[in-house]
Amino acid sequence: MSGISLLLNTAKEALMAQQLAMDVIGHNVANVDTPDYTRQVPILQAKNPAEYGGMIVGTGVDVTSIQRNADAFIENRLQQRQSDLSASSEKELYMNVLEGIFDESSERSLSSQMADFWNAWNDLANNPSGDSERSALCERGALICQAFSDISADLDQLHRELNLSLDAGVGHINELTGKIAALNEQIVAMSASGDANDLIDQRQHLINQLSEYLDISYYSNSDNTMTVTTGKGYALVSRAESYGLSFDGNSVRWESSGTGTTDITDTITGGKMGGWLDMRDSIIPGYKDELNQLSSSLIWEVNNIHVQGVGLETVTDVTGTYEASDATQNLWDQNSGLDFWNSIDSTGTFDIWVYDSSGNVAGGGPNTIDIDGAGVNTLNGIASTVDGIAGLNAEVTADGKLRIYSDSGYSFAFSDDTSGVLAALGINTFFTGSDASGMTMNAGLKENRNLIAAARVDATGEIASGDNTNALDMAELQYRDAATLGDTLGNYLASLEGSIGIKSQSITRTREYDEVMLNNLKETRDNISAVSIDEEMTQLIKHQHAYAAAAKLISVADEMYQALLETK
Amino acid sequence: MRISSKTTYDAIKYQLARTAADLVKANEIVTSGKRINKLSDDPIGLVQVLSLRESLSNMEQLSRNVSTARTWLDGGETALDSAKDLITDMKTLALQMANGTVGADERAAAAAQVEGTLEQIVSLANTQVSGQYIFAGTRTDTKPFDILLDGSGNPTGVSYAGNDTLFAIKIGKTTNLEVGQDGEGVFGDGATWGIFKSLIDFKTALESNNVAGMNQAMGDLDTDLNHMISATSEIGTKGVRLDVKEKILEDLNLSYSERKSQLEDADILAAISDVNAKETAYQAALASSAKVMQMSLIDYL
Repeated sequence: MSGISLLLNTAKEALMAQQLAMDVIGHNVANVDTPDYTRQVPILQAKNPAEYGGMIVGTGVDVTSIQRNADAFIENRLQQRQSDLSASSEKELYMNVLEGIFDESSERSLSSQMADFWNAWNDLANNPSGDSERSALCERGALICQAFSDISADLDQLHRELNLSLDAGVGHINELTGKIAALNEQIVAMSASGDANDLIDQRQHLINQLSEYLDISYYSNSDNTMTVTTGKGYALVSRAESYGLSFDGNSVRWESSGTGTTDITDTITGGKMGGWLDMRDSIIPGYKDELNQLSSSLIWEVNNIHVQGVGLETVTDVTGTYEASDATQNLWDQNSGLDFWNSIDSTGTFDIWVYDSSGNVAGGGPNTIDIDGAGVNTLNGIASTVDGIAGLNAEVTADGKLRIYSDSGYSFAFSDDTSGVLAALGINTFFTGSDASGMTMNAGLKENRNLIAAARVDATGEIASGDNTNALDMAELQYRDAATLGDTLGNYLASLEGSIGIKSQSITRTREYDEVMLNNLKETRDNISAVSIDEEMTQLIKHQHAYAAAAKLISVADEMYQALLETK
Repeated sequence: MRISSKTTYDAIKYQLARTAADLVKANEIVTSGKRINKLSDDPIGLVQVLSLRESLSNMEQLSRNVSTARTWLDGGETALDSAKDLITDMKTLALQMANGTVGADERAAAAAQVEGTLEQIVSLANTQVSGQYIFAGTRTDTKPFDILLDGSGNPTGVSYAGNDTLFAIKIGKTTNLEVGQDGEGVFGDGATWGIFKSLIDFKTALESNNVAGMNQAMGDLDTDLNHMISATSEIGTKGVRLDVKEKILEDLNLSYSERKSQLEDADILAAISDVNAKETAYQAALASSAKVMQMSLIDYL
């Protein structure tokens, strides 16, 4: 090749290389805002030299490749942090809702309802025969039941919403893993003919999105495909193959290529899914459990005092509200199936007073029932014992409840229950139900407020309308430690709400920390990989000048040719 | 160091969002006037606030109880004071009538006066406070005293239908104060002892011109008066207990309210200056961000 044509050729190659470089810069500038876009850099290299006139002469420039400026280590850290942040953000969101459910700023809060309830008992004690005090107490009782069951229903609702989110999350994950697998295939095909930079970026973007849903780990294979697994190693994408997840309404299952599915619910710890599962399986059930303990304790303690007393009138027919599944078992045995079997004291007794039609005590005094006496200890035993009392009848209903009713003209009342049996059977009780969702006021009291037991039968069997002994005792309940809680009901509620606040606060702090860490990593990543307009402009000018210089070379070569031709 | 264009914008976005969130939070404290707006704002403080709220609601109730107790005691005291005056009048009357110069007609007239007094004291003993008989023990719905009459309409005795259990009101967490009265214990059973028997005996003595009986009545009335005075002073002592209780409740209420306010309420001055500081920071961030965002090499090419 002659000298001049070598120059021309070199200039032509240079023009093409600089143009290509400027094309790449153009691509970078155009993608300055594209998320997860990685800056591309044209790699210019001197072409292989040629021998000319015994000399080795360079033959110009060539773009050998276009590289992505990515740091795999940073990308990897970024994914993990993203999973952490997604988990803590979702938890923060749900904790905010949870805080709203236990809202303490309004008059409708659980603690004000409880305070109002105790105050209503105080008011009744001040005027035990007052009807307005009785109806106010009924109102308060109903409101407190409502408050407990509302919170319980809200927590259940949260549980359902989390399940919907999990279901949708699984759908997203499957869509993403499907796309990643498809990109793997395209990248392999394209790598054969050149750099698949933009497809790799797209895949990275999808992986970033995937890590928002799940804690994942991934690695690159020699053929440029990416293998993605869950944090605990269940494969999600392997080359062109993706493995789906499914949600069966409760657990997340991994569908292997072979037969059957595997429950991987407990292995998911990060991403939105991890956050949702933690809320659903650990945080919310914990609070619900405490709420149920509180309500069950409130029900028991109130009932156990209420059964000691008597209303303004005696009763003629009463049916318990708690069912025994097996009327032949000891009442204080779990097999009896009573909700409060565990609270019964088998060494205790209770008294039934029977009154004749003129209101005098029949039988000369109270009938004391010793609940662990022979033939008494079971529900059937109690029924037949009570049935044996003159003027009274008792039976076990078909659904396992105790019914006591008097002969015509007779009526009856209870007192001095040291066994807890009356409260456990739901006879003459204030509340029914055994947890927050099922808590209601005893329907019998709502129908006849005179049955609210402010008084107690005294030692002679008298029931005085101005007796407020039972109401006074009830008003003191708020200061006493509840047996199953080891604390007063009010304190237990306060510490439950305090623990929600502390949990929420710590989750917010974790979220803030994750956010700062993620931002730092993103900044590091962007400083390596994202586009800087200033830098691209500088490069552009550099290549522009090189392009102009190469053009100048062509005109020089042209002049040289003309000079040669003119010498002829 | 290489800074990408995206980093600049992302950093601005993040910082502005954070400063704005700070401003909103500071503003929430000012507008609500509360330092604790959510459980998580200060969980430890919240637990204390809840327990203070419970105590305050409690004390409000106890104050109500104390005033109910006071109406009972006041009712009792007024009734007994009136009864004491009436008994003193009767004593004076007995002194006058026991004088030998008083004739049978005057004594008969006095007997009618005694009967009137008997009726008055019985009605005092049947005093009601907000619909409840305060001298009936816990049978507060039952009229405790009734005058028994013979065939010709003369009082022969007074019956008691109450009991001897005293109506009590809760004035402290575990303190109940007995504010009701056992009417029989105060006025006597109306048959064997007490003011009603003394009056009926006095009346009989007047009607039968029995001077010895009148002298006897004077002594009996004196005993009854003393009995009444001691019952009144017992009520007075209970009243003092209520005064003390009321004072304690007022003081506690004040100190608890203050403590609650310290925990729960925002220091408005501090909160407003906090908003101002956050606002300044936000404005500064906006201004500097606007400057940084404008800068580009393109402007100089």
